[in-house]
Formats: sequence, structure tokens, C-alpha cells
Amino acid sequence: MNIEPVADLELLRRVRLGDESALEALYARYGGLLYTLALRIVGDRELAREVVQDTFLRSWNGHETYDAQRGRVPWWLMAIARNRAIDLLRSRSHQQRLRERAGPVPEMPPVISDDPADAVAARRAVLHALRALSDGQRMAIELAYYGGLTQTEIAHELNEPLGTIKSRTREAIEKLRPLLAPLIQSMGGPRA
Amino acid sequence: MIDNEHVVDDLAAFALGSLELAEHERVAAHVGTCAECGSRLAEYRALVGTLPLALAPVAPPADLWESIRSAARRAPSRPPVWKRLAVGGGAFRVTRWLAAAAVAASIVTWNVRLQTELTRYAQGPQVEKLARRPARLVILKGAAQPQASARIFAAVDGQSGHMAISGLPSLPATRVYQLWFLPKAAPALTAATFTVDDDGRAWVVIRVPTDLDETRSLIVTEESVPGSAAPTGPSLLEAHEWR
Repeated sequence: MNIEPVADLELLRRVRLGDESALEALYARYGGLLYTLALRIVGDRELAREVVQDTFLRSWNGHETYDAQRGRVPWWLMAIARNRAIDLLRSRSHQQRLRERAGPVPEMPPVISDDPADAVAARRAVLHALRALSDGQRMAIELAYYGGLTQTEIAHELNEPLGTIKSRTREAIEKLRPLLAPLIQSMGGPRA
Repeated sequence: MIDNEHVVDDLAAFALGSLELAEHERVAAHVGTCAECGSRLAEYRALVGTLPLALAPVAPPADLWESIRSAARRAPSRPPVWKRLAVGGGAFRVTRWLAAAAVAASIVTWNVRLQTELTRYAQGPQVEKLARRPARLVILKGAAQPQASARIFAAVDGQSGHMAISGLPSLPATRVYQLWFLPKAAPALTAATFTVDDDGRAWVVIRVPTDLDETRSLIVTEESVPGSAAPTGPSLLEAHEWR
């Protein structure tokens, strides 16, 4: 992943001026990550494709406006993609969502990153941090972020008290904080 | 030090988009006025933003960029008018003024057209005609904004539509209006974000995220840009029945 914030902001500025090459550069930089995220959430290649296309078009046509207070450009793009993907999930029944999530995501060839060392190091750091969580904490995070479930829905799904799920979620994020702080700071994020 | 009066216990679930609507609204209202919780939320959001980096990378379809480019060409970017006027200097001064005049003329024409359209929609017969089945018409009326209203014409394919809005106040650059579908048995779904012109009017293309027959209400709220995962502000416009 390219983590140069000035370059991202410059690309966004040019996108807003209608520069197609800037949109292509943003896609080359983050299209793979957004597609990976969307596929993880919706579990369907065609729907993931729709999510990624919609995400870039919304930045192109001005339906979404970058807000620096919400984080760096890739986090903003991921938030748009995640919201669109969760909207797609929520437009289906809860049971259908559970069935879809139970199915395996098909294996695909890996992306060749522009900067594989950065991507590999970042992935290793996040995986290392996630391994520090208990199974219950990790499940709570994944069902919330990738499954689009509310805390109440997670409690129902796991047959656990709502208070337990809330505690696990809070403890998981707090446990991840110091472990991911170096990565977040290296990406230009806020300091813990 | 963040004490129990703050919402720190719910910030993690908030950053993950996992709170119920009422809790989400409560936390959003607090972090909007509390620097400590706002700062903690920024940390949590950055943390949540790193989670997808753990996923095994998957290559997007080879033709996805071409699809995006084709769609972008059908829906051109909309640069600010002042940027479009900045087409050159010196030897291009005449060209620039010609461009400015053309833009000014088009703005006047657009305003007249918009005025005509909104007046026509306020009167209704054309919308009535358009709204004959299988397309749908939804009229949103002011809740917190009694002078405001909006009309949605949902297209025949049931996936998209247009919305004409009037009477909403202009917003600062950091705020945006957001249209929501509230399904009968699921959390709110976003359909569009938009701003209004100085006269409080807008005409926007919307997404129809779920079947209207499975929807209990449509509402418009005010949110922070680029929009929220769930409604955080009070309902400004709403509709509970439609044809």
C-alpha cells in the first residue's frame, strides 16, 4: 500500500476536477484492498464488484466528500465500501446473511502490490495483533465489522448475554490499541 | 481522564458500526460535543480501518477498472464552477471570459429549469402521471422542518430514483443531508447524501436500497460528511406511506 498522504489528497483533488487518470491511479492504489474487503463482507464476486465500482463512482461524481477528520484517504474509501457492502447485506434477511457468511470465500490469485513489502508488513502486524485476542473477542469484532451485525444480533447469534458481547468488543479494541499503534502512526493516523 | 459520564464503553461498538440505532444516536450526540471521546473515537476508527489489511489479498476482476471508467464517463465528475472557470490566463483571457459567460448563461438556464421543475412538481400532475404503476411516488414532509418537503420518483426498475427537495436550509461544508430507508425488520439503509443550493433546493439521483413494500418509513437527517452508517440526527423530512 502506498502511504503517502499528500499524493492521495492530490489525486482526490484531481478526481474532483474530472481527471480520469487520477481516478485510475486511486483505483490502482486501493482497488484491490476495497475489492478484498467487499468480497469478505458480501461473499459474492459480482456484489463485491458492484460495491467497488459504486465506491469509486461516488468519489468521482461528488456523492461522497472526503473529510480529513474521518481519517486518511484509504480509510475513507474503505468506510464507503464497507457501508455499501453492509447495506447490501442488510437488504437481505438475517437468516440469508448467516447462510451466506457460512459459505467459504472462493480462493483467487493474490494481488501483486505496488509495494509488496509494505503490504506484507502491514498484514503481518494486523494478523499478529488479532492473534492476541481470545476467540470470543475476535468473533465479536468480525461479526460486527464484516457481518454488519449489531451487538444485540451478535449476542443472539452466539447465544451470549448482551453485556458479555459489549465487554468483549470493548476489551478487544482496547487490546488491539497498543499492538496496532505503531502501524497506525506509520500510516499517518492519530496517536494513542 | 474519561469518566463514566462519557460514552467510552460504547465507542468500540460505535466505531465498528455495531450499535443499535438509539444507542448510535446517543453516542453520536455525545462525541459531537466531547473532545475526549471524539479523540478516542478517532483512534478507534483508525484501528478499525486497519482490520481489512489482515485479509488475504484478492485480485479484482481484470475488467473492473474498465467498467468503472465506462460508468464514470456516463456520469461525469462535477468540478466546482470556479475551477471550471480557471481555464487559462494571459492569451487565454478572452477564452476564459467566453467560458465564464457560457457558464453564467448555463447557470441561469439551469436555475430557470430547476425552478420550473420544482414548481411543476409542487403542483403534482406530472408526477402523478409519472407515478402510475409500476413506478412509485413518495412524498416526504417536514418533521423538524415544516416548510420543507421532498418528492421521490422511484424508477420502474425499483433500484434507483430521483428526488426533488425544497425548503431545507443550506449546510456548512462539513455537513450533509442523508436520505434513509427504514425497513420493517432491519436497520436503516442509506439511499443518498446531498446538499441544497442557497434557495434550499436540490435534485438528486437516489438508490432504492430495499423494496418500498418492505419499508416502514423514509426519513432525511443531517449528518457529518461523507454521511453516516446509521441516522444520528433528528428526522427533518419523513414519509410513512406512498403509492
